[in-house]
Formats: sequence, C-alpha cells, structure tokens
Amino acid sequence: MPVTAASDTSPLLAVRQLSVFYGQFRAVDAVDLSVRAGEVVSIIGANGAGKSSLLKAIIGQADRIEGVISYCGEDLAGQGTAEIVAKGIALVPEGRRLFPSLSVEENLHIGWEVGRQGEIGIEDVFGFFPILKERCRQKARELSGGQQQMVALGRALLANPRLLLCDEISLGLAPVVIDSLYKLIPAIKARGIGILVVEQDITRSLAVADRFYCLLEGKVTLASRPSATSREVVMQHYFGL
Amino acid sequence: MAGAWANQIIQGILLGGLYAMFAIGLSLSVGIMRFVNIAHGDLIVLVSFLLLTLTTRLGVPLLVATAIVVPVAFVGGYLLQRLLLQRVLGQGVLSIVLVTFGLSVIIQNALQGIYGADTRLIQGGGIETETIQLAGGINIGMLPLAIFVFAVALVFALDLLLYRTRLGARIRAVSDDVASANLVGLRSAHIYAVAMGIVGVTVALSAGFMSVWTNFDPTSGPSRLLVAFEAVVLGGLGSLWGTLAGGIIVGIAQSLGAQVDAGWQLLAGHLVFLAVFLIRPQGLFPK
Amino acid sequence: MTGVRNVTFQFDKRLLVLIGRGVLVLLAAMLVAAPWIFDLADLQVITELLCLLVLAVMWNLLAGYADIVTIGQHGFVGIGCYAFYAFAVFTDVGPYAAILLAGLTTLVFALPAMIVVFRLRAAYLAVGTWVLAEVMMLGAGKIDAFGAGLGISLPVSVVREFGGNIAERFTTIYWMALILAVTAMAATYFLMRSATGIGLTAMRDNEEAAGAVGVNLFRARVICFLWAAPFLGLAGALITLQKLRIAPAASFSIIDWTVYIIFIVVIGGVGSFEGPVIGTFVFFLIREYLQSWGVWHFIVLGGVSIAMVLIEPRGIWGLLRRVVPGDLIPVSHRPPRGS
Repeated sequence: MPVTAASDTSPLLAVRQLSVFYGQFRAVDAVDLSVRAGEVVSIIGANGAGKSSLLKAIIGQADRIEGVISYCGEDLAGQGTAEIVAKGIALVPEGRRLFPSLSVEENLHIGWEVGRQGEIGIEDVFGFFPILKERCRQKARELSGGQQQMVALGRALLANPRLLLCDEISLGLAPVVIDSLYKLIPAIKARGIGILVVEQDITRSLAVADRFYCLLEGKVTLASRPSATSREVVMQHYFGL
Repeated sequence: MAGAWANQIIQGILLGGLYAMFAIGLSLSVGIMRFVNIAHGDLIVLVSFLLLTLTTRLGVPLLVATAIVVPVAFVGGYLLQRLLLQRVLGQGVLSIVLVTFGLSVIIQNALQGIYGADTRLIQGGGIETETIQLAGGINIGMLPLAIFVFAVALVFALDLLLYRTRLGARIRAVSDDVASANLVGLRSAHIYAVAMGIVGVTVALSAGFMSVWTNFDPTSGPSRLLVAFEAVVLGGLGSLWGTLAGGIIVGIAQSLGAQVDAGWQLLAGHLVFLAVFLIRPQGLFPK
Repeated sequence: MTGVRNVTFQFDKRLLVLIGRGVLVLLAAMLVAAPWIFDLADLQVITELLCLLVLAVMWNLLAGYADIVTIGQHGFVGIGCYAFYAFAVFTDVGPYAAILLAGLTTLVFALPAMIVVFRLRAAYLAVGTWVLAEVMMLGAGKIDAFGAGLGISLPVSVVREFGGNIAERFTTIYWMALILAVTAMAATYFLMRSATGIGLTAMRDNEEAAGAVGVNLFRARVICFLWAAPFLGLAGALITLQKLRIAPAASFSIIDWTVYIIFIVVIGGVGSFEGPVIGTFVFFLIREYLQSWGVWHFIVLGGVSIAMVLIEPRGIWGLLRRVVPGDLIPVSHRPPRGS
C-alpha cells in the first residue's frame, strides 16, 4: 500500500492555519492540509469555496496570506512564483493559460526552463500525448480545448515537479478527453510526485484521490478518505447542510 | 525631370533606413510591453551626445565609441525598465505616458544644461562624403546605403532573436499574457527588462548612425519620436518588417515633399502617414 | 476618554473641508476684486494663469476622466489663435464675435481630428494627437496670409477695440479670461454631474462598475473631446490678445500649452476637480521662484511629476485627500471610501 508507506515520511507539503486574503475578503480561512510524496489529494467544494485561492497561495500568487505553507520542511513565505516553481511545485492553471502565439513545443519548453530540469523530458510528454508530437509546430491557439489541456499538463510536468497542482483540468472538456487526462494520474503518482487536485466533478475527483478535503466558505469542513466516507456525508459537508 | 523624381525616391528609401533604425526600438517596446515610450527619441539624442563626448573630448573613433556605448545602453534600458517603467506598467496608459513624458522633458533640458543648445554633427571619418554613381545621374551616398543595409540586417537579426531563440519565446510568452507567465513561474519583470535592454541596443545603434548623418541638438528627440511612431503605426503592431516598410514610406514621402518645396518635407511625411493610417488603421503588416 | 478624543478628531477633519472651501471662496472673491487690488503687471500674470487654468481643466477632463491622454492640446490652442486672427482681421464680425468664432472653429477642426484620435489604440493615442498638432502647426506656417513661418502681429485697430489705453485693455482681457475660466469650470462641473460624467467617473474608479451602470463609454468620450475643443480655442483667442501676435512656434507652443499643462494637472491631481486649481497655483509659485534656474526648473517639474505618478497618482490633492475627508467641489455623490 503506497499510502501507508508514504505516511511514514514527513509530508511534501504541509499547510498550517492558512488564510488567503483578496483585499478585505478572506477567501481561505485557517486551513490545515498536507500532501505526501506519491499521494493524490483532492480538494472539493462549491464555486467560491476557496479552492483556487488555496492553489494560488501555494504557488506564490496570493495578495496576502496568514499562516504557514511549508514545502519539504521549508517555509515558502516571501518566495516568488519563479523560486517556488524552480524548487519543484508546478501548477496546471484553471483555464489552461497557454501562450496562444507560441508553438506547442515552445509552450512545453517554457515549463522545462522554469522548472527543476530533471528526468521528465519533452519526449516523455510526447509519449503521454502522441498527438502533441504531431502538432508541435502549431500555435497553441490553433489546438482544440483537450489538446490545449494536454499542453498545459505537459508544461507543468516538464517542470519536473515533486508536487503537482491541478486546477479544474476537466473544465469544458468532453468526457472521453477527461478520461485520457485522468488516466495519466496513476503514472504521475508512480513517479513519487504528490498531486493536489481541485475539481468541480466530485465523482471523478474522489475516484482518483487517496485522501480529500471538503472546503466550504474557505474552511475545511471534512478531511477523510473516499473509501471511508459515504456519498451522503460528503454531500452534507459540501453544501454545509 | 523624371530622373530627379527617381533620385528623390531612392534617397527617400535610404532615408527610410535611418527612420527604421529610429523606429525598431519603439516597435519592440510597443509590440512586447504595449506602451509607447515618449522619451524614445530623447534617448537616441542622449546617446548621440554621449558619442559626441567620447569622440570629440576623448578622441575615441566613432566605431569604437559605438561599441562602448551599446552595452551601456543595454544596461541602461534594463535598469530604466526594472527601476522605473515596471513600477507603473500595471497602472494603465496614463501613468506610463506621464512617466516617459517627464523623462523626455528631463533629458532634453539636462542635455541643454550640459551641452548648450548648439546643433551638432559627429565626423564619421570620410564615409559621409563617399558616393556611388548610378546611371541617370543618380548618386548614392555610402553612408545612407550602409545605414539602410544595416537596418535591414538588424530587423533580420531581431526577427531571428524573437522567433528562433528560447529568449525570444520567453519574451513573446510574457507579451502574450503576463499574468499567465507569472503563474507558470516566468520572471516577467526580468524578461521585460531584458527586452528593454535590447531596445536600448537599437537606440545606441541608431544614435551612432544619426549622429554622423543628420544634425542634432538637445531638442531633436521629439521629431525622432514622431517619425519612429509613424513608422511603427504604418507597419502594424509588433511587426518589425512592417516597421521597416513604414520607415521607408515616411522617408519617401518626406523626400518627395522636399522635391516639391524644401519647406514641405516634414509636412508631407505627416500627411502621407495620416492618409495611409486612415485607409489602413491596423497598419500594413499587422500580426 | 477615547470616545471624546475620537469625536474631536472627526470634527477637526470635517473642519478641513470647510477651510478648503473657504480658501476657494476667498480665491474667487480675490479674482473678482483683482482689477481694483492688483497693478497691471500682476493683472496680466493672473490673466495668463486663468488661461492656463482653462487648458488644465480641459486636459484633466480628457486625460483624467475620458481616458484620452493627449499630448496634442497645443494644436487646438493654435487653431484658436489663428481663427481669432482670421475673423478679427479678415472679416468685419467684430472682435468679440471673433473670439467666439475662434471657439467654434476649433470645434469644427475637432470633428475630423476625432476620426484619427478614436481609431488609435490606447497606447498610440498620446503620440497620435501630437502628430495632429504638428500637422496643424506646420500647416499654419504654410499660409502666407498669416505671415507663413514668421507669423504676424495683430493690427493696432483690432487691439484698440478692446480698450483705448493699456489699463482699459488689460482689464477687459482680464474679465474675459475670468469669465472663460468660470464658464469652463462650471460647464465641466455640470458635465461631470450628468449621466455622462457619472459614467466616466465610474470608469475611472472601476471599469466593471461603469459597464454595470450601462453608460455608453464611447459616446461619453466623444462628448468630452468635443466639449474641450471650443474652450481650448477660446483660450487661444485670449492668449493671442495678450501676445498681440500669432506665429506657428508661439501659437502652437507645445511647451506652453501642453507640457506645462500636463505638469500642472499631474502635480495638482489628475482626475479631480481640485487638481487643476491647485496645480495652476503651484505652477505659478514654481515659475516665479525657479524660472531663474533656466533648464533646471523643467528638470524639477519633470522629476516632481514622475515622483507624483509613483507616489500619489492623484497628485497634491490626492495627498491632501488622505487627510481631508471630502471633496471641496463635490462632483459625485460617492460615499467616501473606507480606510
């Protein structure tokens, strides 16, 4: 059981009493959360529950935070996104956020440049998504939504992260495309990468997760394992009933 | 008579090479950072005065002086962006116009305070008087021809830099979407500053050419800015080859205007710019 | 104890608004009484400042509210100068009608200018207006009837229509400048209180909010552009009456009618009604005390305005507004923002 094996080691990411602010608004409120190497952790919650704000805070893009985000035992406070990415945290942003006028290959290579430059190379990404190899000279804006999401995921993987943050990677995509993306998660996990998944689709999210957290209005209302929790209990905490 | 007009067109094309040199840096800053630096022309004149000091006071040959000034201009452009312009980049058009406008006034008056209001020209060591004779009594000056060839080569080189190198891809990424660039871990402030450093290099090179070909004084900057601006708008946002074409159009218009009446040179350039702009507001080669 | 101190503190702050308004009223009273309390030289300086104030109010309307950041304001001022000369000298409409027709002519020139200005992208607009002004100046310098490049003096017969002697003439011009400044400020005040102005203020503060208000921003910007033009022309006519001649370089002076004006508004406060008034006064002080520094007074002006953009983009009024709890001239009914 990789989960029990991983639980012996100290967590890759440990978030303690984290609050994230936008101006006066508190988007995330005193959240505790951890991710271990080789573990998939899901964050579920309704729109506006603070899921994306949490990921932005981890990657160093929040306006103002309180509390501690520690990665491999190091406090990330005051570090910029570039430093954080170079240390091994990569984000697949919501809405993909590719560079539309750059080619597929150039988009992917930017992931390599900003990251840890380890064992995952561009050929590995082409191995995951053969279609991207065919399209590598095309501009990102000319791709379909699913292909763009592949580039976004590939760009994050090329940073050779130890912790991968996925923000709504299934949004707006056809089910068959989503399947092909989610099929990769076990392979990523097998490399010992910790994955934090934010997803609207609760069923899909819980299906891949080792553990999950449910957020409601910025607070954690439930932290558990999918296997140990009934759907009724999840829904109660999701809607705050 | 037809020969005179043909001559003016050829001289206009060559003049367009110099104008393209002025405009390439502005085209980069508009294309990448999406702002027009009001002080662009004044920076060219500032570097020309630096060259004047190096060549006349310290006796450095012009080519060597330019070679010294180019890296200095890169660092200058980098620091200008990093320390001043980057701070107001997110505040909208008004702030960036006001800051570069203030800079323009400061540079003009500081130069006037230091060098006086006299008109200057740097001696190029003989090249400025050499000419090539063509059929039909057309003379081509070696200096304008060299500048034109250099302008074409510079556009070619910058095009390669932007579209064939990793640095170019990073610059285009930040230009595409700076928020996304920050999100994936690109250091956008540094990349912008490098781009402005490259603009500084083009400013230094164009200053080197301008200072031997045309007279300049501390208040020459705005007229250089206007010509550069017209070339950039005519060419189309972000297109360096378009900027070269735009420079040539303004050059020909001025040259033909001068053929009609010496006093019409500047006005003819502006009027042709306005006419072409009204027909094609997006420019000739929009990206 | 703390409660009592708090109340006193609140009282003090509101008093500042009253003091500020008191200063404005005093200033206005002083301007009305000026012909009787100042000598001719001072009166001439105040006339000039009133003209600059008109230009500053208009630049502020365009750049601070309508998002039209122009560096070509001197073009319309010059058109006003030349149009005044044309109507006063070549026609027999009379000198006062010539002034009004100068304003109208500038409005007519603003119409084709709009085709260019509103087609330019935001980043291009500033320099685009400069090109237009340059074309106007170069064009004016080609017309022999206006003395071509050298310019031409206003005939004595025209000058005398405003008063037989210098004192009478200066006073007449002063009154016209005061009326123009008051009209410019009042008209702009009412424009800003109209639906158009409220929409522009909303856009300045928050673009999404402006969309929600449902204001047609393009229409609002066009109105502001056409609003400003005749006032610039009228100011040009009065400026010509003071200088007694027109010339391309002086009538279309970028330094006098654009550079100084931008400094006035930026230092006083862009996007506020108080800004141009404060800026004109500060500019007067700087010019009086620093002009002997020659080029260095420009460097000081440039440096101060860059510092302003970096430290407080709303200028001196923005700095004061951190202490003063309300606007002296309340343009909008916005509640004061939270801390």
